[in-house]
Amino acid sequence: MSCSARLPAVTAAAAAMLALAGCGGGAIGADTPASSGQSFVGSAYNSTVFRAGGRPAAPDISGTTLAGQHLSLSAYRGSVVILNFWGSWCSPCRAEAPDLTALAANYSARGVRFLGVDIRDDPVSADAFVKSFRVPYPSLNDPSDELALAFRGTVPPAAIPSTLVIDRRGRIAARILGSVSYDSLRVLITQVTRG
Amino acid sequence: MTSTKVTSTTPAAPPRQAAPRLGPGGWLRWAWRQLTSMRTALVLLFLLAIASVPGSVLPQEGIDPAAVSQYHTAHPSLAPILNRLSLFSVFAAPWFAAIYLLLFLSLAGCVLPRTFRLVGQARQQPPRAPRRLTRLPMSASYQTALPPEQALAGAGSLLGGKRFRLRTGEGWVSAEKGYLREVGNLIFHIALLALLASVGIGGVFGYKANRLLVAGQSFADTPTALDVFRPGRLVSPSDLAPFSVGLQHFSASYVRSGPTVDEPITFNAALRYTAAPGQPARSYDLQVNHPLVVDGVSVYLIGHGYAPEFTVTDGKGNVVFRGAVPFIPVEQSGLTSEGVIKVPDATPTQLGFAGVFLPSAQAQGGRLVSVFPAALRPEVSLITYGGNLGLNSGASQSVYSLDLSGMHQLPVAPRPLAIGQSMTLPNGAGKITYTGYRQWISLAITYDPGQLPALISGVLALAGLILSFMVRRRRVFVRAAPGPDGSTLVEVGGLARSDAAGGFETEFAELARDLRTAQDGTAIAPPVSAEPGAADAADAADAADAADAADAEAAEAAEAEAAEAESESESDGADLAPAEPDRAELDTAASDSAESDTAGLDPEPVSAGPVGAGPVSSDHDQSLGVRDGE
Repeated sequence: MSCSARLPAVTAAAAAMLALAGCGGGAIGADTPASSGQSFVGSAYNSTVFRAGGRPAAPDISGTTLAGQHLSLSAYRGSVVILNFWGSWCSPCRAEAPDLTALAANYSARGVRFLGVDIRDDPVSADAFVKSFRVPYPSLNDPSDELALAFRGTVPPAAIPSTLVIDRRGRIAARILGSVSYDSLRVLITQVTRG
Repeated sequence: MTSTKVTSTTPAAPPRQAAPRLGPGGWLRWAWRQLTSMRTALVLLFLLAIASVPGSVLPQEGIDPAAVSQYHTAHPSLAPILNRLSLFSVFAAPWFAAIYLLLFLSLAGCVLPRTFRLVGQARQQPPRAPRRLTRLPMSASYQTALPPEQALAGAGSLLGGKRFRLRTGEGWVSAEKGYLREVGNLIFHIALLALLASVGIGGVFGYKANRLLVAGQSFADTPTALDVFRPGRLVSPSDLAPFSVGLQHFSASYVRSGPTVDEPITFNAALRYTAAPGQPARSYDLQVNHPLVVDGVSVYLIGHGYAPEFTVTDGKGNVVFRGAVPFIPVEQSGLTSEGVIKVPDATPTQLGFAGVFLPSAQAQGGRLVSVFPAALRPEVSLITYGGNLGLNSGASQSVYSLDLSGMHQLPVAPRPLAIGQSMTLPNGAGKITYTGYRQWISLAITYDPGQLPALISGVLALAGLILSFMVRRRRVFVRAAPGPDGSTLVEVGGLARSDAAGGFETEFAELARDLRTAQDGTAIAPPVSAEPGAADAADAADAADAADAADAEAAEAAEAEAAEAESESESDGADLAPAEPDRAELDTAASDSAESDTAGLDPEPVSAGPVGAGPVSSDHDQSLGVRDGE
């Protein structure tokens, strides 16, 4: 059979099939919502590190902390900042929390500042998380992802958790998608503090 | 005449396509021809349809990961096998991509060469006039006092005035009209290629996402905010349109009585959105099939449900949870919904609740069921668990299911709660209060840059197809020669190259009459050719072939033969010499479209029907559409 013998007929058949296939998901409520809140990276470790010359500037985000105070990232200019995006509902965030707390305890004295961004969370659950893990640093409340959106065009926190290492001049030096471990983050902190 | 004629046409099936040589090049050519054959395209299309079936039967990772993990729990032995076959992510499976890409290649490999051929056909000159016009399906002749040259020039200008494409030669004019048919065909093919390309563009540069949004919440179009995010191959998170959408209020109305009771009537989601950070907020009333379009991105309303609100106090008296928890409908008529509440920061033990939400709770036969989808009597019933939720391990977990491996049920009788009621947990584990409910909507966010091009090419393809079906190509030939009595004998012949929408007879009759009156001619009764018979039919078929000869790739050869034939003596009888190449062509056409109504296409097509009727013209219609590059 030649390729062209019944082209229009085949095309019509294809169109009809596609149209039928397209009917499937139309009805409201017919299917369960496509939501599982699983936009975080599981155990995968995925980091991006920039050389000192090629670091994108971090946007100046500001907002209200879980404790109710106004805070902006630019207030931390001059220090190396660890910016951690988390949520109390997110399993990898809970897994990395003890390591982050320990790092914060050890490196605050050396001028490294820690700041959390609490994503898609309710304040009560977030407070309970902070108390459970005795998180020593403040977190900005970001229930609607506006702060995450501000990083568009740089290296956005594309997963929960994500951790950004920001150098003393307010530029993003590294991004880690997924849980951090004490050692992996310590290496980055040391690098950025030196350079 | 008849005997020589018939023998010259019957050596009917000289197969032009040689068997593939067995060299690597030959095999490659053979493979390519197989891939681009319509049979393969059909098989691939069918395979594609079959391959999508598991996508709608089995839960899909990309659409509903929670359902996939439920399936794993329900079918512990079958699920890993299905998973290995990618049946939980059919549309991302390698074998699905293979089918799609092969189909794409097959169609492109078929359409592209055909497009070039059609360009050639659309630019083609009319063929030379056959020698005996009286043997054409339609013919007329008249005598005029004008000399032959003037008669031909007059005929040419008359036909040209009717927008025929003209070609002139020694003693003849041939004219053809209806090239729009080829243009339509060409448009169809180019549009088809554009359609394929548009689909490809959409897959590479587009993205799809889903988000469940509870009333009172808002989200920004950024990966962390999306429950499911499926970017195209070349989409990075920074490419997402930076809009924010908040749900202020959602309302649904339902039929309250009658045969369609419980059916939804309307859904309205009052949205407040900003197109980009810092821009003014606007309102939008989102409804089913009325998406919000921001920056080329469409936001569709695809689902809704209830999110009961709870407050949990732990054993130490601390409030450790307060919020709305989306529950998923498990049936449509009463919107009975299920969900879980996880309280990982409760002390002394982590708490988990598996709940059922009944929008219109009513006892029926000792069971509590929901009898209506609207929240007329919203109650919730909970089963309480204590222990380890498994959340601190770092392993991904659905927010719609509890990992019970580290949990045990607490001994508390499940009793339906109305809004405001609490349940005290045993062993000093704390208290849970059902404080109210909100509604949620689920949104599908799609960006498909290929959508508009695909629509345009689809419409163009349809228009081209209609054009090529409606317009028929028809040819008129005029010959003028000095007659016996000093006057000029003018012969006019007509041939429609397709059987689409008849009516050429009338047009031809009018043309012939116009020509005659313009040249003060006297009509001559048509000779024997009107009489159907095998020999005449053969000639007519040959005439048609001759008319088509110029179409073929062998056009030049055919014309050379025709020229030769003209230089031969009149007595040879086979006045339409270039029959051979076309006969071969006709036969390949016949074998190409064996399933169609090709009554006249057996090795002796000529004897099948009356002059000029179905077989000849429809054969040619076939060969017009079918002619292959070989």
